Amino acid sequence: MSKTSYRFQKSQRTLMQQMFEAPAIGKMSPMAKILAYTLLGVWSFFVLFPIYWVVITSFKDMTTVNQGPFYIPFIDFQPTLEAWRSQFNEDPFCTVSAIGRQLWLLVYNSAVFVVSPVVALNPMEPQICKIYLAFTNSFVISIFSTGLCVLVGSMAAYALARIKYAPRFGNIMVFVLLLIIVIFATTYVGAPWWASSSVGLALFFFLLRALRGYFKMSLKNGDILFWIISQRILPPIVVVIPIYVMFQAVGMLDTHFALILLYAVANMPIVVWLMYDFFTNLPIELEESAQLDGATRLRIFWEIVLPLTRPGLAATTLLTLVLCWNEYLFAVFLATVKVQTMPIMVAAKNTGEKGILWWEMCAIIVVMIIPVIIMAILLTRFISKGVLMGAVKG
Amino acid sequence: MQGFDRQAAVRFENVEKSFGDVKVLRNFDLEVQPGEFVVLLGASGSGKTTALRILSGLEKPSGGQVYIDEENVTDVLPKYRDISMVFQSYALYPHKTVADNISFPLKVRGMVKSDMDAATLSAAKQVQIEDLLARYPRELSGGQRQRVALARAIIRQPSVFLMDEPLSNLDAKLRGHMRAQLKHMQKSMGITTIYVTHDQIEAMTLAHRVAILEKGVLQQLATPAEIYNNPANLFVAQFIGSPPMNVVHGSLNEGQFITNGVAIQTSVTGQAEKAIMGVRPEDCSIAASAEGTLSGEIFTNELIGDHALVTVDWGDDQISVKAPKDFAGEQGDTVGIIIHRDSLFVFDESNGQRMR
Repeated sequence: MSKTSYRFQKSQRTLMQQMFEAPAIGKMSPMAKILAYTLLGVWSFFVLFPIYWVVITSFKDMTTVNQGPFYIPFIDFQPTLEAWRSQFNEDPFCTVSAIGRQLWLLVYNSAVFVVSPVVALNPMEPQICKIYLAFTNSFVISIFSTGLCVLVGSMAAYALARIKYAPRFGNIMVFVLLLIIVIFATTYVGAPWWASSSVGLALFFFLLRALRGYFKMSLKNGDILFWIISQRILPPIVVVIPIYVMFQAVGMLDTHFALILLYAVANMPIVVWLMYDFFTNLPIELEESAQLDGATRLRIFWEIVLPLTRPGLAATTLLTLVLCWNEYLFAVFLATVKVQTMPIMVAAKNTGEKGILWWEMCAIIVVMIIPVIIMAILLTRFISKGVLMGAVKG
Repeated sequence: MQGFDRQAAVRFENVEKSFGDVKVLRNFDLEVQPGEFVVLLGASGSGKTTALRILSGLEKPSGGQVYIDEENVTDVLPKYRDISMVFQSYALYPHKTVADNISFPLKVRGMVKSDMDAATLSAAKQVQIEDLLARYPRELSGGQRQRVALARAIIRQPSVFLMDEPLSNLDAKLRGHMRAQLKHMQKSMGITTIYVTHDQIEAMTLAHRVAILEKGVLQQLATPAEIYNNPANLFVAQFIGSPPMNVVHGSLNEGQFITNGVAIQTSVTGQAEKAIMGVRPEDCSIAASAEGTLSGEIFTNELIGDHALVTVDWGDDQISVKAPKDFAGEQGDTVGIIIHRDSLFVFDESNGQRMR
């Protein structure tokens, strides 16, 4: 670089620029380097220390936890495997054959789920190593609900990004009104649900034709998108009782399917919102070109659009997965015994009589963290830039 | 290279298109013969790309009908129109290799793999990229991407071939090369082609017929020679030709164009209070000041290379003349300009129409 180059002349750059805008990668001054790495180090410490704390606490027992803060194993305190033993060894069902049977159930249930979600799933047996049960429950529920949610959500987002909708506001109101009447008729008048709902649906289509052109105000894609996102504004605690009653009514309490469905619905707004942004940023020529080449919408979506939004898809999947994995509120209501998930296991260590069993809680948390880390490492490979390179122009 | 067996005719009938209140295409009529190469030429915003997109089906016309081979395709989905298109941005699928990009149109039609590979290779050979098949678009140069887009468009032998400014992202040298290649390819395959550009040289060199659009209205549809020699109106006259045609304001009286105190004899009959005379720089020549049709002082003399462009002040107007490259006139010299009567165009100033 020549001497007159503005960016490299230190004297011509403000203090803020000198500190925060390195002239080029690897061109920072030694002082700036030390400062930068110190700040990064401090930040890493803040992020990593809680994990360290959880790991060492899982190797403590009641005395070493209660006697004060000890941080360095073998020097401050003598590590013990007691917490781990109580979770695995001392559980009479934590044998190879029991876990094998559970594993078989897991595979069987997955296969059944893929074939038909309403065919009976074999319930996971409660007489099994508690932590294994919770882990597999969490695993199955998270994977399936994330898959369902990302699939349906990204399709919805794509539709919103590329197809112009204009439903009449009045028609929606008519639908809601008929829905209320149907519910009323079923609950209070005692009409069979199939009769009332088909009459209601028929009436709706009749009115739709009769009132064609009567309503003027229509919703745009932006309104629909906002409506979807607004479903997430409501705190879940508000709706958890109605949801409980609903699943009780259809007899789906304490099933995997209930949680899978519920998580998929609860996370749908986030998926739609995130993916909508990725889809609208795709150059539309690619899709137009594919359209002229003779591809159907579905094919364009699968073969052109989804591969190109892979970074966004990976990020969204990871986020949804973590949200499902950590979910507590719905699980505590809907998963009482058989489909208990990991967060409930963790919370159960806050016992009434013995206080909080920190060491056992931490052991469970360590087990819970590991798959998330693995998943993050697997998915970050896809969260890279430059997928669109070479698509349009040079 | 074998010819295409399906050459379709294309017809626009009274096609209109407006986006909101903006009318981008008005009363657009165009008939393209089977195997013909038609260029839609116009400045940006003239509606040429919109016309192309309406034919492709990506845009719906607000009014009028579009026919391909006597079949009304106005409401037919793009994929059923048997059209392929090269986009200005090439629109290659970045996650597919060159081979997969080229064969995509066949793949969606469910062709067998072996047939597909053979067709891909032959299409790639036609545009000379058969050694790039395993690469990804990001590993290609602009010209190579252009060729991939071309190969993808020709592989399934469409009945109509559309191109939306396909050369405008290339550098000047490559553009000239690709232009020649395109012309050769179109001629040897004989495929009906509609090509959109804002570059008059591309239009003049490639087209069998050129359609000039301005503000959504078709100004003239004719062969390049006809457009150059016989412009229908002032817009076409000024749009075609480089350097652009000289225009001089004046009036027309009994075949004499009167301006700046000079009466010039024209071959036009008629009267007009306000008229415009147009003459191309290459149709004028420099003479001694007494011999010319008119005379004026040299405003500037620019040497272009094979000729010199001399701009001469004439009253309120200026006239540019293509002079021999050894012309040595200096700024301020008085020279005469000879204008041939037959190369002189007269336009009515009120509507811009050519007077004959």
